[in-house]
Amino acid sequence: MKLKPATLRTFTTLHSWMGLVAGFALFVAFYAGAITVFHQPLQQWATPRTAAIGSLDDAQRLLDDVLARHPEAREHVGMTFPGYELAQPTAYWQDRHGTWLFATPDHLAGNPTPPGASLPELINQLHYMLGIPVAGTWLMGVVSLLYGIALVSGFVIHLPRLVKDLFALRPGRNLKRFWQDAHNVIGLLSLPFHIVFAVTGALLCLMFVLMLALNPLIYDGKLMAASAAAMDTAPIVQKAGVARPLSPLASWHARSIEVARDQGIADFVPGYLKLAHAGDAHAVVEITGTAPRGLGGGAVALDATSGAVIATQLPGARDANHATLAAVYALHFGDYGNVAVQWLYFLLGLGGAFLFYSGNLLWIESRRKRRQAEQGRSSIIMARATVGICIGVCVAVSAAFVAAQLLPWLGWNVGAGERWACFGSWALCAIWASWRTPSRAAQELLWLAALVTALIPLAHGLATGWWFWRSAAAGHGALFAVDIGALALAIGFAALARATARRGRTGGANSVWADQRR
Amino acid sequence: MWARAGAGVLPGFFLAAALIGLLGWLLPGPWESTMVAGLTAFFPLWIGVICAAFRFSSGRRAWLWLGGLALLALGLLWLLQTSGWVR
Repeated sequence: MKLKPATLRTFTTLHSWMGLVAGFALFVAFYAGAITVFHQPLQQWATPRTAAIGSLDDAQRLLDDVLARHPEAREHVGMTFPGYELAQPTAYWQDRHGTWLFATPDHLAGNPTPPGASLPELINQLHYMLGIPVAGTWLMGVVSLLYGIALVSGFVIHLPRLVKDLFALRPGRNLKRFWQDAHNVIGLLSLPFHIVFAVTGALLCLMFVLMLALNPLIYDGKLMAASAAAMDTAPIVQKAGVARPLSPLASWHARSIEVARDQGIADFVPGYLKLAHAGDAHAVVEITGTAPRGLGGGAVALDATSGAVIATQLPGARDANHATLAAVYALHFGDYGNVAVQWLYFLLGLGGAFLFYSGNLLWIESRRKRRQAEQGRSSIIMARATVGICIGVCVAVSAAFVAAQLLPWLGWNVGAGERWACFGSWALCAIWASWRTPSRAAQELLWLAALVTALIPLAHGLATGWWFWRSAAAGHGALFAVDIGALALAIGFAALARATARRGRTGGANSVWADQRR
Repeated sequence: MWARAGAGVLPGFFLAAALIGLLGWLLPGPWESTMVAGLTAFFPLWIGVICAAFRFSSGRRAWLWLGGLALLALGLLWLLQTSGWVR
């Protein structure tokens, strides 16, 4: 396909500006997001002891006690089954002021802090809001939109030479061309995945805002009233005002599996339930579960007193709204299929981070002044920001991992300490990068990232005694995978540090990446 | 550049919304049955309109075209809704 030179120029400008504006946030989102794919193994890894999985009897006791102690929970209560996210069941509800409270069999009083380790949630917050409360989510929604524009414009630029670019990875003396090739190949090969993230990322961050805007505009003001039916499985029912006891929790669990099996889903695993109007004759329970071979899980709504099926939304037999919603969630979080899909998402996530990092390097390189030692201000600022923010967040995430193991061992507050370790080390890296020359800062911070990341399995072994060879021998795949994954990443950072040093010594002299000592 | 970007973002938003609305209400069956699909399709459509805005030869033309189309499509949607021809 031929494009007019003016169009090509417009879209090239568009692509590099969108990349510049959104690239840093996207690097953080992709690096943290790649790790978030494994949030469940991470939860096990960061929980001080490998607790035994609770039973359905524990869940029943928790539900009974919470309903007896907390009248608000009788209106609406949610509960995770043992082994889903956490080994023990968790109940959650809103108190009179609208605050969410969480209870476990050990803490029935209810606590505003969710149970379990705080590390997975910290990484997740970095992923979807850069750790910035409230506004961070909207910011990431806007970033997703800019990312979408960068994708379209990047695709348009490469359209004329699509096939040629795909098979052109030219290693050799021209390093810039090699980076350009790598940027193009990775971008093109993972394009479907990036389209999915731009669309679902924007939707997940801005769904509520979009609904508020579109409601009067195109839905005649009826959107909010219709959204419950479109997104939940159980219909909203009014209380009967007649007291009637709930049927046992184990019977709901068994019934949901049975209903799913009758609809051809043999591997339905109940994950959590939502119960409304407990104690009333019109009590309704909705059991949501996962079906590893379907795209997204499903839900079964039951009469909580008689166990009769009220409604189902299961893979293969869903209405369009539920099918779309399930696809959005499953495609974004990569929780369909088996562990191979998760590893693919992890690698594509790291590949995405590389895309934004290499994009910044290309921008700097294309503004390079080959004939003079002094480089432009914008190149130096961009190089410093890229080093401080991108390599800095790698150090910061690893520091949070190390803190998650060492702080409980030392008897300190884990939740707050992890945040200090994470954002403190990130800020220090950024300050370091703004002070040193870009070439030196990149090497030093990459070595630091390698060191801190290599400390992760060490801290885990010291704090818990679960050295990775012991986890492997005992069959704790999750613990082993996190430790070994950290070691692999540490080796990767060390390799990048060496490559950066080589560039400084032997690459083109007049560049922000050249060693200034020569 | 800025004028065309603005045209894609502002009138482009209303145009994308109107197109989603027309599609949702004109498809067979009640509009409620495709609302999540409509919300999901909105962002890629809006991004497409923003990118398309850069193909206009000037910012003025982009604003006029996208603004005009948005008004037309929203007007048509309101007409269909208030007259009860769609539901």
